Amino acid sequence: MKTEGKISPVARLKYANGDLIIKEGDFGLSIYEIISGKVGIFVDSSGTEIQVATLGPGMIIGEMSFLAGTSSPRSASARALENCTLEAWHPNMLTTAYKQMPTILRLITGNSLKSLVRVNEMVSGFSLKKIRAEAEHVQGSSDPWASKRKFYRKEIDKECVYRPVNSPKNLKLFGRINDISRGGLQMVAKTSNSLDYSHVPGDEFFISAQFKERQKVNMTAKIIKLQKGEKSGTISMGMTFTHMTHEDQKRLGFFLMP
Amino acid sequence: MTINPQVYSIVVSEESFPDKSVIIKEGSGGDWIYVILEGRVKIKKQTSKGMLTIETLTEGDFIGETELLKQSNVPRFTSAIADGPVLVGTLDTEQLKRDWEAQPLRLKKLISSLMQNLEDAIKNFVDLAEASK
Repeated sequence: MKTEGKISPVARLKYANGDLIIKEGDFGLSIYEIISGKVGIFVDSSGTEIQVATLGPGMIIGEMSFLAGTSSPRSASARALENCTLEAWHPNMLTTAYKQMPTILRLITGNSLKSLVRVNEMVSGFSLKKIRAEAEHVQGSSDPWASKRKFYRKEIDKECVYRPVNSPKNLKLFGRINDISRGGLQMVAKTSNSLDYSHVPGDEFFISAQFKERQKVNMTAKIIKLQKGEKSGTISMGMTFTHMTHEDQKRLGFFLMP
Repeated sequence: MTINPQVYSIVVSEESFPDKSVIIKEGSGGDWIYVILEGRVKIKKQTSKGMLTIETLTEGDFIGETELLKQSNVPRFTSAIADGPVLVGTLDTEQLKRDWEAQPLRLKKLISSLMQNLEDAIKNFVDLAEASK
């Protein structure tokens, strides 16, 4: 394709079925026009990947980051749903044009962008509820994992050992579980733990604690929210369970009741 | 929020609406864009379970812009209803259209795509709302 400028700001790219084109959370500004094939748009909502749209030829992906500016990460992932050909546009070719666009058109565009972000959030919130409700339907309402309800947090104070999921098995970090519910737990740990190993939202840990005598319970949970602990030098992590065996769920019994 | 002077400069008329009156009716024709000068406006869509509120807009926000920037003459996709007394400014559509047409093709494609995505997201939202009880 012939373009203005010396280096070609437009490239044709081929993606195979399943390939990731844009990853949510990444910083990228390229814009893609779909030439052929179908592309799915996915958002991550509390660890569940939800498809929010299917796009086809002639449609654009990646325009939200471009319009929102350099500091915004990708708000969704894009994945090829079949073999696709895309045209990637280098953002520089459009940045100047966008800057020179009359203020009013830019304000109007910003208005719609804001609405789109808001509506997308409502859609993913709704989809997540639906997926959970379907999971409940399939597994039966007795399954503690599938309930839609907000859970009562049982306050405890239990020492636990934990380590990042991809760390060596002999690594032991110490923490205290402050409360636990069907959905997850609250853990406090020394701030120094986070100097050697990453403790940021999204990080996943193996956690092991003894709830009754000689009954160790293992679980996997992911940080959702991170804040300073009440005591100085501590961090408090709000975590959601990502995995627990049925045996361990039974052992936890009461603590997982709604 | 104050209204951007550039926006004011293309306001051709002002119109007041009492509480709950219809500013834009879903399915009707027309490509005017309004800016909210005072008050709040609810954007709603007709569903099998009645009117569903998509969002509430406030001073400085625009209503009716998606139809203009989609490069095609389409009926209004959502309704805009006054939430309390509202004062809106009607923008100079001809001026906006000329400005829009003068933009580079790829930039127009990109912004049209945003408008389309917004409509699709609203459709998605309506479907989910209809499917839930």
